[in-house]
Amino acid sequence: MNAPTRFQSLAVSGLEIRAGDKAIVRNVAFTLAQGMPVTLLGASGSGKSLVAHAIMGSLPAGLCARGEVTLDGTSLLAASLAETRARWGRTIVILPQEPWFALDPTMRIGRQVSEVHHYLHGRGAIEARSHARSDLAEVGLDERAQAYSHELSGGMCQRAAIAITHAAGALLLIADEPTKGLDAALRDSVVKRLRMEVEQGRLLLTITHDIAVATALGGMIGVMLDGELVEFGPAAEILDRPRHDYSRALIAADPSRWPAPQLPPAGEPVVSATGLSKRFGEKALFDGFDISIGRGEIVAIVGPSGCGKTTIGNLLLGLVQSDRGRVELKAGVSPLRFQKLYQDPPAAFAPRQTLRRGFNDLLKLHSLDWRTSEELMARLHLVPALLDRRPDEVSGGELQRFAILRALMLDPVFLFADEATSRLDPVSQKDVIWLLVEIVRERGLGLLLVTHDTALAQRVAAKVVRLER
Amino acid sequence: MTLADATLVPAADRRWLTPSRAAGLVLLSLLAAFALIGPLLVLVDPTEQDFAASLAPPGADYLLGADHYGRSMLARLAYGARLSFGMALLTVATAAVPGILFGLFAAWRGGWLERVLELISTVLLALPGLLLVLILLAFAPGTFGPLYLGLALTLWIEFYRVTKATAAGVLKQPHIEAARLLGFGTPYLLRSLVLPEIRPILTTLAAFAMSTAIIAISTLSAISVGLRPPTPELGAMIVELLPYYAEAPLHVLMPGILIFLLVLGLQLATRNESL
Repeated sequence: MNAPTRFQSLAVSGLEIRAGDKAIVRNVAFTLAQGMPVTLLGASGSGKSLVAHAIMGSLPAGLCARGEVTLDGTSLLAASLAETRARWGRTIVILPQEPWFALDPTMRIGRQVSEVHHYLHGRGAIEARSHARSDLAEVGLDERAQAYSHELSGGMCQRAAIAITHAAGALLLIADEPTKGLDAALRDSVVKRLRMEVEQGRLLLTITHDIAVATALGGMIGVMLDGELVEFGPAAEILDRPRHDYSRALIAADPSRWPAPQLPPAGEPVVSATGLSKRFGEKALFDGFDISIGRGEIVAIVGPSGCGKTTIGNLLLGLVQSDRGRVELKAGVSPLRFQKLYQDPPAAFAPRQTLRRGFNDLLKLHSLDWRTSEELMARLHLVPALLDRRPDEVSGGELQRFAILRALMLDPVFLFADEATSRLDPVSQKDVIWLLVEIVRERGLGLLLVTHDTALAQRVAAKVVRLER
Repeated sequence: MTLADATLVPAADRRWLTPSRAAGLVLLSLLAAFALIGPLLVLVDPTEQDFAASLAPPGADYLLGADHYGRSMLARLAYGARLSFGMALLTVATAAVPGILFGLFAAWRGGWLERVLELISTVLLALPGLLLVLILLAFAPGTFGPLYLGLALTLWIEFYRVTKATAAGVLKQPHIEAARLLGFGTPYLLRSLVLPEIRPILTTLAAFAMSTAIIAISTLSAISVGLRPPTPELGAMIVELLPYYAEAPLHVLMPGILIFLLVLGLQLATRNESL
């Protein structure tokens, strides 16, 4: 360990973040102590990320933080820019979201760790390399020092990022959505690693919307809603006896706590495929795969990332051609009635069009009436005012509901939801999934859910297909 | 670093008319007025000679002075601006329209058509632009036709390549696939989804192409293969006046300043703030 001193506590009180005259984060207060990690839970847009950046001193231009943030008695907010910069990496460090984008793709992992020793601590090349090796060994990556970031899994990249923070010797770790985009197994390995960081005496602040992560980390939990910390307390207490309505909703939104959907038995198949095979280059994704989705049936495909589960949905929709096997759509149904929901809602809408413009064009193309879409909008809890915004100006949950609206306009018989809720917070995820279940019940459409969340799949789907890598 | 709370941060004021754009547009409209209305207001013939006024300084008789043959600089500049700017605009339009259309088509269809276009553009690129113009000029020296054709033939490649590369990227995005599943046809996708996304880069490109065309036309006049005297053309004027630089430096600079202002105006007007 190259840690000279350990910090005892980080105290935040009366933190307020303002954009001009508007306070977008108010009244945030919590204390982070040795062995007591803090996890901030909340939807995206609740201000939890801004709190992390305020502590780090890296708020975007135009925002300013007020209040008290002290690390062992030193005020962080009062520091000059130069002092703040000197702290980055050395005493406080942010573990980035999706670290595979933050690591240098042209440099081997070992070198990325050793350059910290070399440039930051001024060690010689050989000494830096041996230190880097021990840092990587600590996170279990010593075998992979020669690998580039694209050769590592998401969890390994996250561990490599942790090794870099070890090298820098930072003792306050801020993990911003550390498990975003990881499947369950990788998520658990990252959380385990973060627990070890706490045991080694580092202070840890985690920002997440994943309750499983908060549960596993323990310590203290803060729940944020609309820029306010609505509840703060020991993890066990908050998870078992949440006091605030929103905390209750958030915890109830965990798929393992959902009630089972009551669906009538499935009707005749709308899509079926037999003997599907697909390979990308050398790698066979699947061979001789059969699937059938009936009217009013929910089928889920689960599996780790990269196992080809999305490809199956795309094959059924004819977006990808299979190497072998055949896909049969229900005879006499227009191909327009087979629709898809996308993983990343903003990417599924034209970025420079207002939603109104997109819907207008769609209604005109199929000679549909605004009235039907207005009824559906009310049904999906979408306010008409949102129509005049661009896709990047509405929240992910709302946008995904707009995507459902768009698909429903064409009266689909089959809907393929490709990780449709993986980027949403638990409350929005529950809303979207239950909405889909209701639609399946009412309209009798076949739904194919592709997800890496096994709990969700088992709770909702009548049939769960498991794919291995 | 991405910020999950981006929606909390008030959106930056996205004004289309930024100060630099406004300045560029004012400059361009002044130049356009000078080139279009100037020749109508200046009643002097730009080729009329008055040897008594040879190299006259700017003054009451000649507002911007007179050149070595005693021709009014103001008249010559106004006519020259109309000719040079008009030719540049025509050339760029001729290059941009097929370039963009071919680019979109190649990005959308790919296949043999893309390969043929790729081959043609590579062959044309291998030929220096100036040489291409010279070859064409050999057929009809001193006229605008081959000059314009040669320049358009070299300039369209840039539009084609940039359009193809950016459009291919846009076409791979999920929202295009979503629109196709919703039943939208190719013309709609290209017009309403692809073009708006590649428009900023194309306007910047067009501004650069305008500058290239003006400078190329002036350069060709300067090496005496472009338009013939006494046609008032900005490049030719610089060359003709160059021997008198010692006596009348301002006269030599005036056409150059006009070209400079146009290029500056174009760059300012098409500048993207969100860099």
